[in-house]
Amino acid sequence: MNEVIGIIIAAVLCWLNFVIVDSYFGLPEQPGVKGARIIGKDVEKRGGDIAGGFFQGNILCSPDASAGTLMASIGYMLLGVPGGIIVALLVFIGNRLCADPGYAGTTGCLTATAIIFLTSFIGLTPEMFIVGMVIAIFTIMGISQVKSSIILGKIAEKFNRHARE
Amino acid sequence: MFDLVFDTIYFASYSNFFGLSNISLSSMDCLLVYIVTIICSIGVALLLRLHLLPSKPYRYSFDVSALYPTPIIAIGIVSIFLVLNYTFMYNGLVLAIVIGILSALFVKYLFDFIFPKPLGENTGGDIK
Repeated sequence: MNEVIGIIIAAVLCWLNFVIVDSYFGLPEQPGVKGARIIGKDVEKRGGDIAGGFFQGNILCSPDASAGTLMASIGYMLLGVPGGIIVALLVFIGNRLCADPGYAGTTGCLTATAIIFLTSFIGLTPEMFIVGMVIAIFTIMGISQVKSSIILGKIAEKFNRHARE
Repeated sequence: MFDLVFDTIYFASYSNFFGLSNISLSSMDCLLVYIVTIICSIGVALLLRLHLLPSKPYRYSFDVSALYPTPIIAIGIVSIFLVLNYTFMYNGLVLAIVIGILSALFVKYLFDFIFPKPLGENTGGDIK
């Protein structure tokens, strides 16, 4: 497959994967670690959405499905499907080291490994997923934190996981 | 003569002592190893009277259960063995059962010791 098209498809798949898994497991609902609360309050002060702010703080401060997807792509590139599963174990240990009570990281790793395995049949390579995941995180954290937090807040409302504070 | 080191290594790396690649293990064998590991770890964890599902709502994963950390730890360690081409006897099935049992025992008895629960909001946080 053409590399540019592959990277675009991989970026969309990665974005959907980590936003859906993270929203389902309640990242916008509450800050799992203390830094996430500070970031969420700061985003809200600048005119953003508190749920989106918690989401951004959580994916910044502890390994959640975003880090899981990125690391699963790297593990798959290095070692194949077992690499992706080893990465799930490593993300689980990382969650424990961060004292992050959540299921998102490990689940995101396993779903990302499954997605990369399934799309490898139509010619997407794990390298495309690494680049695509960097682009996907950039759209969440890099372009405009306030605007993306509003979008994430709307997605959180769809999942009935909006912050209760 | 009796060569302890050779015999030990030969027995331990029963299926692939002379080759570096996993020739003997097809992808279906790997899939079977994973399935056996998952079933074995969940089964032993249930025998050890762990709960099947974590406590609701599913936000706080420090409560161990049979479904959440046990199979993840088990298949992660099995993957490390597969990647290192160490698959022992019977296409890795013995290894799968042993790791399943050991990971269930780990989750039941050692997990809180190695990964202790974080202290509460008021008792231990050093970052304010």
